[in-house]
Amino acid sequence: MGQQKELPSTEGDAEERRLIDRSAAGDQEAFRQLVLRYHRLVINVAFRALGELALAEDVAQDVFIKVYKALPTYRHDKPFKHWLHRVAANTVTDSLRRRRPVVSLDGLEQPVVSAGSDPQDVAARHDLQRAVRHAIASLPQHYRDTIALQAFGELSYDEIARALDIPLGTVMSRLNGAKRLLRERLGDLVSPSEETNTA
Amino acid sequence: MLSHATTRDWLIPYADGMLAVDERRRIDGHIAGCATCAGELREVRELNLLLVTLPPAPPVAFAPFWLNLQAVLPQRRLLRMPGFGRYRRLGMAFAVAAIGVLAAGGTALAAPSALPDNPFYPVKQLEEGVRLALAPTNERLTIQLQLASERLREAQAMAANHKPLLAENSLRDFRVIVDDAAAALKNPADPKKAKEALHALHLKLDAVERENANRGDDDQDVKQLIAAANVELDRIEREDADAAPPVLVIGEQATPQPTPRPTPRPTPRPSDKDHRD
Repeated sequence: MGQQKELPSTEGDAEERRLIDRSAAGDQEAFRQLVLRYHRLVINVAFRALGELALAEDVAQDVFIKVYKALPTYRHDKPFKHWLHRVAANTVTDSLRRRRPVVSLDGLEQPVVSAGSDPQDVAARHDLQRAVRHAIASLPQHYRDTIALQAFGELSYDEIARALDIPLGTVMSRLNGAKRLLRERLGDLVSPSEETNTA
Repeated sequence: MLSHATTRDWLIPYADGMLAVDERRRIDGHIAGCATCAGELREVRELNLLLVTLPPAPPVAFAPFWLNLQAVLPQRRLLRMPGFGRYRRLGMAFAVAAIGVLAAGGTALAAPSALPDNPFYPVKQLEEGVRLALAPTNERLTIQLQLASERLREAQAMAANHKPLLAENSLRDFRVIVDDAAAALKNPADPKKAKEALHALHLKLDAVERENANRGDDDQDVKQLIAAANVELDRIEREDADAAPPVLVIGEQATPQPTPRPTPRPTPRPSDKDHRD
């Protein structure tokens, strides 16, 4: 297997450590500054997973409440951002699993739709994205947690390994398994169209 | 040439760009002559395309988000009591009365020496918070240094009792107190006394570190927190020293200041990167 370039050890900058320590001690102003730094990241993860802004904001709030409660046990040996990603991915996939799928996967047989402004295309793309989200939510937990970090958190293999505290090889194997299952479950939805066959 | 099964196993890391050049070449070689694997690779890429095109959120205003979040944040003990404005005195009087009632109710066991694993430790924390909030400005630094020293005593005891999480909490509280006191320590009324206090805190941190190391399986987080606290104390000390009147250096020749500086207090340096709130 190919060797990924080792990322430099991140110990977090001193200011962030200070904010974390103060937040852990109950300083809400320090926590406000932490939230200010990361709210965009968490809302993005939640929105990619859930597809609705109001819901994404609610789930992002749940993420920060969990973080606030857990801060006294946070250990500085792991970058805060990776720890936050892990909490966010767990929370959004839990939320996604609790929601009833609106779209039946069997009813969708269109290939990937390229970006366009045609309302039918837009609706089809939304349905497709929803199907992907629910397919991810239906995966076994170890696959789900790993692929959620890649698909919703946009983390690299290395970053996923650091966030989940698992070897890079395990990340590869989990993503392999997760994507195989996704392809099975999404069926024809991931069959390339004629135009993309030349890729 | 790679087997069909091996190629299929490696298609996903291949599509994610996770294979080394040699391995990529071997896969390329197989795919060039295998329509089935080439088709499967297109499916893998199609799935990747779906995954990466989940759109990011539209912009969200921070202020309402924070206000909603703040309203539901669990309340946690505050080490520092923020200004209560005009109700501060009334609030303090109430807190003092509450402590009196608690003490009369039998919690006198909450001696100032209670450790974090003592059930009455929260009462001690409350007492400290009130004491600090009621302190006149000129006594505040002294009390902060006492509290900082007390946190290190607790951390040492917790490290000795194999309770690293409690030791970490005390060290974090220590850093919060030092952070609060940093401005006063950098510009103290009695610089010599402040320097001695910082030195004493360094020694106590060393004692916590020794206790942590004595456990054999020394806790890494305790170790890191101690290191960070030492850095913080050093920085305060250094900035205090930096604030002294500079000596003009030309070449290798140092020229003493010819006349005393007109202002008794050092002015903040414009390039001060460690400016705190």
